[in-house]
Amino acid sequence: MGLPQTIPLLGWSWDDVIFVVLSGVMLGSALLVVLGRNIIRSGLFMILSFAALAGIYVLLGAPIVAAAQVLIYIGAISVLILFAIMLTQSKGGSAALTFHHQAKAAGLAAGLLALILTVTVLWTTWPEAVAPGVAVATASTVVVAQLLFSNNTMAVEVISVLLLAAVIGGVFLAKREEAPDAGEPTPDGSA
Amino acid sequence: MDTGSLDQWLVLALLGLPLAGFGLTALFGRRMGTKAWIIAVAAIVAVWVAAMYLVDQTLFQHAYGDGGLHFRLYEWIPAGSFQVDVNFGLDALSAVMLIVVTSVGMLVHIYSVGYMAHDPGRWRFFAYLNFFMFSMLLLVLADNFLLLFVAWELVGLSSYLLIGFWYRRRSAALAAKKAFIVNRVGDLGFALGIMAIWTTVGTLNFGDVFTRLPQLLASGGIQEWQMIGICLLIFAGAVGKSAQFPLHVWLPDAMEGPTPVSALIHAATMVNAGVYLIARTNPLFAEAPEALVVVAAIGIFTAILAASIALTQTDIKRVLAYSTLSQLGYMFASLGVGAYVPAIFHLVTHGFFKGLLFLGSGSVIHSVDEEQDMNKMGALWRRIGITHVTMLIGSLAIAGIPPLAGFFSKDEILGDSFKNGFIWVWGIGVVVALLTAFYMFRLMGKTFYGPSHVDPHVEPHIHESPKWMTIPLILLAIAAAVAGLVLGLPFDGGLIHQWLDPLFSATESVLGHGGSTFQIAGIDGVLILVSTAVAAFGLFAAWRLFGFFGIGPQAARVAAVTDRFKGLYTASKNKWYFDDLNDLLFVRIGGLLAAGLWWFDVHVIDGTVNGIASLTQSSGRGLRQVQTGHVQNYALGIAAGLIVIALGYIVLVTR
Amino acid sequence: MTGNLDAYLVLSGLLFSIGTFGFLARRNAIAMLMSVELMVNAVNLAIVAFGTFVPELKGQGTVIALFVMAVAAAEATVGLAIVIAIYRNRRTPLVDEYSSMRD
Repeated sequence: MGLPQTIPLLGWSWDDVIFVVLSGVMLGSALLVVLGRNIIRSGLFMILSFAALAGIYVLLGAPIVAAAQVLIYIGAISVLILFAIMLTQSKGGSAALTFHHQAKAAGLAAGLLALILTVTVLWTTWPEAVAPGVAVATASTVVVAQLLFSNNTMAVEVISVLLLAAVIGGVFLAKREEAPDAGEPTPDGSA
Repeated sequence: MDTGSLDQWLVLALLGLPLAGFGLTALFGRRMGTKAWIIAVAAIVAVWVAAMYLVDQTLFQHAYGDGGLHFRLYEWIPAGSFQVDVNFGLDALSAVMLIVVTSVGMLVHIYSVGYMAHDPGRWRFFAYLNFFMFSMLLLVLADNFLLLFVAWELVGLSSYLLIGFWYRRRSAALAAKKAFIVNRVGDLGFALGIMAIWTTVGTLNFGDVFTRLPQLLASGGIQEWQMIGICLLIFAGAVGKSAQFPLHVWLPDAMEGPTPVSALIHAATMVNAGVYLIARTNPLFAEAPEALVVVAAIGIFTAILAASIALTQTDIKRVLAYSTLSQLGYMFASLGVGAYVPAIFHLVTHGFFKGLLFLGSGSVIHSVDEEQDMNKMGALWRRIGITHVTMLIGSLAIAGIPPLAGFFSKDEILGDSFKNGFIWVWGIGVVVALLTAFYMFRLMGKTFYGPSHVDPHVEPHIHESPKWMTIPLILLAIAAAVAGLVLGLPFDGGLIHQWLDPLFSATESVLGHGGSTFQIAGIDGVLILVSTAVAAFGLFAAWRLFGFFGIGPQAARVAAVTDRFKGLYTASKNKWYFDDLNDLLFVRIGGLLAAGLWWFDVHVIDGTVNGIASLTQSSGRGLRQVQTGHVQNYALGIAAGLIVIALGYIVLVTR
Repeated sequence: MTGNLDAYLVLSGLLFSIGTFGFLARRNAIAMLMSVELMVNAVNLAIVAFGTFVPELKGQGTVIALFVMAVAAAEATVGLAIVIAIYRNRRTPLVDEYSSMRD
């Protein structure tokens, strides 16, 4: 394929173009998540936003994170959220009640926060050295494996315990209360 | 304990027996019913025997020399440089006190068997009496200031318990409280005095204090005013315990207790503790003659004040109570003029004849169905003969009619006052002697000789008291009659002088008294004649006024006399308004002050506290509105806080 | 633009702000949880960007991002379980009707 190195009219590199597109998709769908009236659509837009973010991770030269993003967020958390939405969706009229009465104050706060973050980021001199991409990305799998399973073994184990606890806790919390005569010896014996 | 250990054991037995009697009677007395007295009386009789043996050893055999028997039971408080032992001393002064305390104590115990026979609380009474005996003996035998102070408080406690013995009677409970509280005022001074002694000499043992404190004064280690201060603080304790002006108000009220208690504690023993204390600490007072003048002044003032009040009281026990005050005043005056031996002599004789008079009055009260008002007595002399005779002896003794006991001791006090240069003390003392003879025979007249005012319902039941009561009366009457002769003759060289002169000679020489020989044909004879004549005059005046054996229309004469001295009469009748003064000072003004403080406490202090509380409460109520309970409101707060902090960071730090 | 850390950080900040707005403004508990996920993702983006652009981190950014994801997964599990439990009691997913914290 003989694509040109840069976009003809704008003079941008393809990376830049992809970045702009993905950023636009991500922010746009995120806005739809928080502004949309239909909660199922919000959930779906959230998936889109996560997917765009995965693309940005690839652009950043972090393919492992991108893969994990797809697996965990799109594959697991989103599905979980969609299930939760369906479990809590009551028939009829949730649309009018979408926003809190403090929505305007929230908007102001969020806008101020965005402004502050942007200003701070732009005013700060970051210790950046290397350009993104090749060097880090190629070494990343080996390096990441080394870091995860040698240097941070303990943290990984703790995280695994945390996830186990979360699973048990989730089951315990979401489990429907049994009737007292169901034959369980103690209320918490099943957890 | 080494040599003489038998005697040391006996000294301990003096304390242990009454304490054991108290414990056993308190534990088992209730079950013993009417026989509750057995243990208590047996203990006191045993104590008397032991005490008499020790007195013999001390005073007649001189088994312990002039210094007396001193020994340590155990180390009590070994706190660094502050070291106090439980140690006892038995010298001539203690021995003389033992005679009075154990003899009167034993007779009062025996008397009480009859007197309290019908009281359901008799076991409690005997337990308390034994406890008192323990405390009093501890007081007499203690050989350091702290142990003395403990005993001092214990006798105060026993006194409180026994005054309030009939605690269901409101007046008795109040009198007990009054006695206790007034005593605390004096005891505060005494305690301060003990602390002052310790800080200056670093020891509390009598012997060490009495040698070192004068040495310190001589070497300039302490100033003269400090010495006087210590003496006056000790005297404050004595004033409280011996009910001298201005702390005299508790003693008359203490007559709410059973009559044997009045005889034992409030006439013969405990109230003498103050006299004993001043006599004991005589080496200190020798260095502070100014303090002695105060002692003399307060003593003689109390004497005339109390005697004047006794003239008009109608409660038979109150007359005797004021008489006790007056006689105690004599003793203090005697101590104050440097006449120590006469003071102790008077203490002994007074213990006998006042104990006798109180027990006799108890017998009288018993015979007329517990009536104490003399206006409802009269013409009892034929009906209760033994009581009458014994009380007559007591009255003659206290009036100072020779050759009964009071004559010798009182005369010696007056004589020494005159010869030691305290003419004013002598002058007032003579007046007091006149008043004493008068009020005593007023009492006798109204009770025994004058026309009968006994309630007609009671009249047929008047009876002589049982033997339990009359035998102690007779024994005490004998003592009151002969004690003066035995101890006081020959003048200025009798037994009492042989016993006690070595103890006080050092002090008397420091004060520059004594040494003058007794001249019956000279100044002393004149003084004796004067005081005897005065006493006889008082007796005669009372005779005329109070219708002895139906002589004359005495009621009209009494009225004429009271009319002529109306102001004085009402003042005396109202005890010179001391109770009213105290009421005004402490109850009214003190109450107002306390009410003011109470107001301050309620409105300012509590107001501040409550104000802070209600401020917190109301601000909490206001702030509670912020707590909506909605998670997102809180989250917005977090966001706002984040924004403010970030903005602040940017503005202040970055730029 | 892609060779610039600022771009990624600004993007991250904007996403975080959007998530904040959602968390503060949505009444639905699940929508709030979704907003939280957005915020977590914004933070993750910043971490990965730092890991890429700061040589001293040497790939640590990736590791941290993975940890964050794991924790976020746990959080989502428990959070949704709680929402469901509350919903079962209150019959509503609307957070502003849960005000028992006030009492």
